[in-house]
Amino acid sequence: MDWILDFYNYRVVGQYLPEFARGLGSTAWISLLALGISLSVGTIGAIMRMSANPVLWRIAAGYVQAIRSTPLLIQIYLIYFTFPALPLLDRRLDELEGGIIALGLNAGAYMSEIIRAGIESISRGQVEGAQSVGMTYLQRMRHVVLPQAFARVAPPLLGQTAVLIKDSSLVSFIGVFELFGAGLVVLNERLMPNEGFLTVAVCYLVIYTVMLSVTKFAQRRLGGATG
Amino acid sequence: MFDVISSTLPFLLDGLWMTFKISLITIFLGSLIGVVVGMLRTLDYAVITYPLAAYIHALRGTPFLIHLYLVYFMLPATGISWLQFEAFPAAVIALSLYTSTYVAEIVRAAIEAVPSGQTEAARSTGMTALQCMWHVVLPQAVKMMIPPMGGVYVIIIKGTSIVSVIGIAELVRAGEHATQRHPKELMVIYGMTALLYFAYCYPVLRIARWAETKFGSVRLPS
Repeated sequence: MDWILDFYNYRVVGQYLPEFARGLGSTAWISLLALGISLSVGTIGAIMRMSANPVLWRIAAGYVQAIRSTPLLIQIYLIYFTFPALPLLDRRLDELEGGIIALGLNAGAYMSEIIRAGIESISRGQVEGAQSVGMTYLQRMRHVVLPQAFARVAPPLLGQTAVLIKDSSLVSFIGVFELFGAGLVVLNERLMPNEGFLTVAVCYLVIYTVMLSVTKFAQRRLGGATG
Repeated sequence: MFDVISSTLPFLLDGLWMTFKISLITIFLGSLIGVVVGMLRTLDYAVITYPLAAYIHALRGTPFLIHLYLVYFMLPATGISWLQFEAFPAAVIALSLYTSTYVAEIVRAAIEAVPSGQTEAARSTGMTALQCMWHVVLPQAVKMMIPPMGGVYVIIIKGTSIVSVIGIAELVRAGEHATQRHPKELMVIYGMTALLYFAYCYPVLRIARWAETKFGSVRLPS
């Protein structure tokens, strides 16, 4: 049994369980908030991208290109280090806020492409039907187009959410404590990389497995309902 | 501002050169592994396909940062002499494994997108499975692989930014060094870094999109 303890000392992992739990909770919160930002940004971006107004769609298209062509790490650095003091907040962003905003803006670009595909898949007749009963543009979007679009692209949105959760490990670069940070604590305090990072890897794998089964579920339920 | 640009640009270009080198090496090595894994996954033997599926899911389900730390810290700690590598080989190995999972999925999807009638016809003329793969399936599948491979290449270029954490002097690292010399010009320096990444990635994405209209593409399982 000694070789197991040499390679992976589970007693040390047991000692650090509170750290791992705290990291897991932090990752969950960061991902959830970033997901909220990314879905809002993605929806607005998708609608702007489909607008006939050249200024609006060019801004949205340029945003997607800029995000897709630069690494998330540089986006985090740019937002955290160079975001000016906000007038309402009266201070600079702290690392948690900067990290969440950067993650949300990054995922938002990818989400907007997915949501746009969803909106484009809604048949023209739906919009015309809604117009004919006198709905305004916003009402049509809110009650007719978006609910169907989101149901249709729920599986890829969930897949992108899984990527977002993995990407959230990068906010540890600007000093945010999350799941990966818990592994770093074990490395720094005990010089035990295996115990730290294998445990973190297993935690991420569990999250991934859950996301995968939720995606499969969504594919079955929602994919079947809207055809 | 212009003196900051002119004084830091040479460093950043050195970093870009390193990013360029690492991304080329890893896209090459990763594609080699990925093509083999992807082709093996289309076989009908559970003994082969299950471990490979586990390999792909294990790497897909964890952040690249974890792979990098495991390769950099865990493998040398095993005490095996040929696993005692420096930061650069560790970065190349971790990135290549990461690349291989994407490439494998593309190769598999492309091979499976070739209609099975093609294989059946080739086999019925007496070709062996290998001949059929080489002369009939692969030539058709390769065209479909080109557009998504452009996307993978961009993912790898962006992924190289993370290896800055184990001390590789690539573009992000070069940017961090430059900010130590000009601590008040963070926005200029990181902005320039981002622009250099953009200059590298954007053409690749455009070429991938052009290839997609020309060759068509495969839909990847999400």
